[in-house]
Amino acid sequence: MTTPLLEIEELHARVGDKEIIKNFNLTINEGEIHAIMGPNGAGKSTLSYVLTGKPGYEVTSGSVRFKGKDLLSLSPEERAREGVFLIMQYPVEIPGVPTSAFLKQALNAQRKHLNLPELDNVSFIKLLREEGKKLGIDSDMLKRFVNVGFSGGEKKRLETLQMAILKPSFAILDEADSGLDIDALKVVADGVNSLRDEHRSMLVITHYQRLLNYIVPDFVHVFADGHIVKSGNKDLALELEEKGYAEFVKER
Amino acid sequence: MNPFFKNNDDFQTPQWAKGLSQEGKAAFLGIGLPTPKTEAWKYTKLRELETDDYEFAPLADKGAMPKEEFPFACAKIDFLNGQWVKTSNLPQGLTIKPLSEAFAQINQIADIQNYPFAALNSAYLEQGVFIEVAANRQIEMPLVLSYHTIPENRNLLENIRNVIILNTGSQLDLVEYYSYTGEVKSRYLVNQVNEITVKENAQLNHYKFQNEAYKANHIALHAVDVETAGTYKSFCLQKGANIARNETKVKLKGLQAKAQVDGAYVMNGWATLDTTTDIEHLFPQTTSSQLIKGVVGGDAKGVFQGKIHIAPNAVQTEGTQLHKALLLSDTAEIDVKPELEIFADDVKCSHGAASGELDEEQLFYMQSRGISREDAKKMLIDAYLEDVFARIENENLRAWFKDLKQNS
Repeated sequence: MTTPLLEIEELHARVGDKEIIKNFNLTINEGEIHAIMGPNGAGKSTLSYVLTGKPGYEVTSGSVRFKGKDLLSLSPEERAREGVFLIMQYPVEIPGVPTSAFLKQALNAQRKHLNLPELDNVSFIKLLREEGKKLGIDSDMLKRFVNVGFSGGEKKRLETLQMAILKPSFAILDEADSGLDIDALKVVADGVNSLRDEHRSMLVITHYQRLLNYIVPDFVHVFADGHIVKSGNKDLALELEEKGYAEFVKER
Repeated sequence: MNPFFKNNDDFQTPQWAKGLSQEGKAAFLGIGLPTPKTEAWKYTKLRELETDDYEFAPLADKGAMPKEEFPFACAKIDFLNGQWVKTSNLPQGLTIKPLSEAFAQINQIADIQNYPFAALNSAYLEQGVFIEVAANRQIEMPLVLSYHTIPENRNLLENIRNVIILNTGSQLDLVEYYSYTGEVKSRYLVNQVNEITVKENAQLNHYKFQNEAYKANHIALHAVDVETAGTYKSFCLQKGANIARNETKVKLKGLQAKAQVDGAYVMNGWATLDTTTDIEHLFPQTTSSQLIKGVVGGDAKGVFQGKIHIAPNAVQTEGTQLHKALLLSDTAEIDVKPELEIFADDVKCSHGAASGELDEEQLFYMQSRGISREDAKKMLIDAYLEDVFARIENENLRAWFKDLKQNS
């Protein structure tokens, strides 16, 4: 029995005057991992920002339903509290905001939304330490300002830690492997894989097949010219690795 | 017409102040109220002061002074409508006297010929206190000067003069706290002058929180002399008032004298909050450092005028100044005028100014983690001000100020 978690229908979206998402359709059921692969500049990141509600990314038509609700009518924070999470390609540095305070604020905002009591400092720090340990994040790192002075690998580990703490029902990984060496990639992939279960779904956006060796998808889609041009299973990723995207890229 | 001498029939200059008052009146009438053409006041417009009719605060009912709770042990002097009403918890080594017993010390540091509001302050000299710390006394508890106004729909003029002397090797944390009860629309004017002497090896840490009613006006001048190896450190948080200026004039008058003049202002509505500094390095090896940060929203205007003067003989000195402001709306404004006057070689001097807006990428990142946009803004504003608050040495006071910034 499959339950749809995310249903995208005939979605069109633009940034400024430029239409980037064109008639995009995709349904992701609970527990499924989908990968979207495509050439650089095809608008893969645009899709992740449209789904998370970033200002400047305008949906012109189409619908997105998340757990049956109209996702597009929600603010970015409401989408997050409903369970949408984005591991960003370039996590943002926030000087002056300590990482642990940031995470606590985020978790308690979500708990409040779910009518759960807010976590006090003691229980929060305990949770943070436990989850941090699994990802090799020590308490010194958590005292530092959000992403400030973090290496590429540390930033992605922090993204993964946030995911582990917020436990979203749907996670988008936008080029999660960019800037990572193979060891850092394994840590992040292990972290993500440990959160796989029959209800949690993921959308893995990547240019390279490499990441999909570690986070193995149920479905692979090729994204070009604003929509999905081909779908298959994980073998499609290997095929793309071999042949490249040439056949999907329009001649200019 | 000058509003400040219109309704003054009821003002009785005390006997001891007569000479000083005449001097002040003559100086004030000579200089006049600043106009938009007055260089020192070109960004802070005083038009609204001119149309007001001020009356002198009548003697206040001491019982009306609210019991302000400070979250730290302190000695305290209460002022109600500008008048000294109570002193509590004074430690040894600290002497408080009425001005009438210390009038010889008045106008020794403040220059009434060049500061119109100091001249006005002299003209109506009456209220204020004389504070002295005995030599080599380190006063542990902060001394709080708590100024409270109950305007009751009158345009009160509160004219306060304090003389503060730290003798050789002494130390004091001084906190000035301004509050009011009654209509938030109350109009009143606080015109204050502090004359401060920090003697050899002494240190004054001077803190101030200005949170006047939003139609009230507040003008303060801190005239400070720092002698050999003495230190004057200040931090002023401004939040309230319609027009407010916090002006600090420091003279580093001895070898290795130091000054640190910091401030933060957080404002909305139509207010103009002005921070003006003037630091004169008159001796070699003197140092000064200034960090002023503002957060300006609505139609408000932040003003910073900062001057560093280095006299010809003041070699091996160091003066730094930085003003930064965060603009929260399209109609918020800041005006900044840094000035360096350097007449000596072998000095290190720098100034900087920057303004910016909240970063949309940061806001979105926080929102995408479930933090509301409003909370995200608050966190970013706190983060913006973090470095200036971090310069407050006393931990209790640092925490208190952070709280005041947020909640009052």
